[in-house]
Amino acid sequence: MGLPNASGDLSSEVDVDAFRRLFPLRFHERHLAESIRPDARPLGRARDTTIALGAVASADGSALAKIGSTTMLAAIKMEVMTPSMEAPDEGCIAIDFHMPPICSPIVRPGRPAEAAPVVSKQLADTVLSSGMINLKELSLVSGKAAWMAYLDIYCLDADGALFDAALLAAVAAFSHLQIPVVSLNDDGKIVVVAEEHGGGKLVKDPVNKEKRKLALSSIPFSLTCILHKNYILADPTAEEETVMETLVTVVLNSSSQLVSLYKPGGPVLAYTSAVQGCVALTRQRVKELQEILGEGISVNSGCEGGSLVTSIREQLIAFVLKSKYDIAVICCMLCSEVYELL
Amino acid sequence: MSHLSIPKKLITKNPLPKITISLSLSLSPILPSPTDATTTHERLSLSFPYLNTKKNQLMDAKSASTYSPNPTRKTKPPIFADPDWSRPDSRGFHHCRPAFFRTGAVNSASGSAYAEFGNTKVIVSVFGPRESKKAMMFSDIGRLNCNVSYTTFATPVRGQGSDHKEHSSMLHKALEGAIILESFPKTTVDVFALVLESGGSDLPVVITCASLALADAGIMMYDLVTSVSVSCLGKNLLIDPILEEESYQDGSLTIACMRSRYEVTQLTITGEWSTPNINEAMQLCLDACSKLGNIMRSCLKETASASQE
Repeated sequence: MGLPNASGDLSSEVDVDAFRRLFPLRFHERHLAESIRPDARPLGRARDTTIALGAVASADGSALAKIGSTTMLAAIKMEVMTPSMEAPDEGCIAIDFHMPPICSPIVRPGRPAEAAPVVSKQLADTVLSSGMINLKELSLVSGKAAWMAYLDIYCLDADGALFDAALLAAVAAFSHLQIPVVSLNDDGKIVVVAEEHGGGKLVKDPVNKEKRKLALSSIPFSLTCILHKNYILADPTAEEETVMETLVTVVLNSSSQLVSLYKPGGPVLAYTSAVQGCVALTRQRVKELQEILGEGISVNSGCEGGSLVTSIREQLIAFVLKSKYDIAVICCMLCSEVYELL
Repeated sequence: MSHLSIPKKLITKNPLPKITISLSLSLSPILPSPTDATTTHERLSLSFPYLNTKKNQLMDAKSASTYSPNPTRKTKPPIFADPDWSRPDSRGFHHCRPAFFRTGAVNSASGSAYAEFGNTKVIVSVFGPRESKKAMMFSDIGRLNCNVSYTTFATPVRGQGSDHKEHSSMLHKALEGAIILESFPKTTVDVFALVLESGGSDLPVVITCASLALADAGIMMYDLVTSVSVSCLGKNLLIDPILEEESYQDGSLTIACMRSRYEVTQLTITGEWSTPNINEAMQLCLDACSKLGNIMRSCLKETASASQE
């Protein structure tokens, strides 16, 4: 009945969907043996990826990123804070990742998903350690006031590779971020300078003269792979993640330097060659993601001088770029801490 | 099958808070200008070594007190005082915002819908019918479970992003009369809504979007529920108010109805109203509801015909 070899005899007789549900591992392994995946991708290829900037008009910077059906909405709200004594001329970034109950049948209201704080911490570590943002750029008045950038990322649809999509959305939101023009008022508070009445009310000089964007250097991009037996599967779906549990996430910056490598345990141990395979796949993926992000930015800045705020609707119009991977797959063994994704 | 729920607030006179946040003001600084397009592609090649203190800074960040630089304007008199004013988005008083619907926004849900009315953007996912919670008593009819939450960036001033209890309960009351609960005994249907951006008339949009998501999930209903609200502002009745108009309104009326059965599932009236105004507002709402219903039906038909091909 429940014997592992029983499925082999059944595979020719039962319906494909029934086989997929009853013997998920066998189902996937049969595909892997043919170097193909259930969604018709080769093993090393990531799903179609799109970015739409400016999805939320009430935020200072926002982006919607989609990898396959995994969808992330990131938005940044700028607030003012008093900088700490140790770093009087540096601003701050607070990153939070949310999985609301709409994104997956596993998440229920009042019971936050286990994966959310893990991804949240991983994102904060990656963004801050990559050196993408110079915190000194977020300073307003040294020692008195600095920007606090609240970056919130919402998962709207969870279908695997959550960290990759969240990081892409976060990076895109930063590239869309417009720092507002502000000035110091009589109470010593920072207020936004309204553009319409430029003449009369400008008593004090604005602290920063014009709306500006952050200069982003060495942007981090990531790729998550599954290690299973001799195979490396890039950009797994939620189903693949539940069936084969060993994940490796590699983060490289735009000049292909390693930012982080994350293998949170799992039943498969990784050899050096497997890790190298993952890094090689990520290197290719970074090139694609750079292109996709670049096009997202040019589409956004091209629309009517920006007065038209792009909405999620633009996601439909947004171009689709296909990934091109064909990399040999190698075996694996290596270990670190334990955690469960989903 | 019709349910009328009139909250107690109806009796109190003008209980609506006057919020003095100007939406147009808070949005204007973030609209990108063409001159900034050139700075987009600039890359500063700054090498910035990673320091341990940065990590601590992030931890401190969450506890530190911050404030939004968007001023709460008390000085500027509302334009609504002027007898012949026009609406901030240059609509007629009796014109709704353009509505956009899309079903199947979330693949992992049994059914889902995305709705966009101007700046109000909402996603609703429907899960189930699935097993009820263990603690629940036996029930030979199905259960409906509703939850509405806001993103932290939905409102002009950053919020906590927590559940909205009042909207959750109102959504439940507006939908339960329309769903044939007998069709899924002993199980629960979950309706979860996330307001991505709040641009006014949030609850009516959530209710409308939720009924579309239920239809997409194939849950049996007597009819689609459509909902529209009207604000009373001085002498004028404004249909489908935006956030700014809602903050100055004297009274508000929201109807959720099943138009083809001529049944109202929810009617909420708050604030100061005269009887002729209520009659006119209800007529306006019902007309708008039937038009909205047509848009939703065409959206569902499109999806159905697309999936057949």
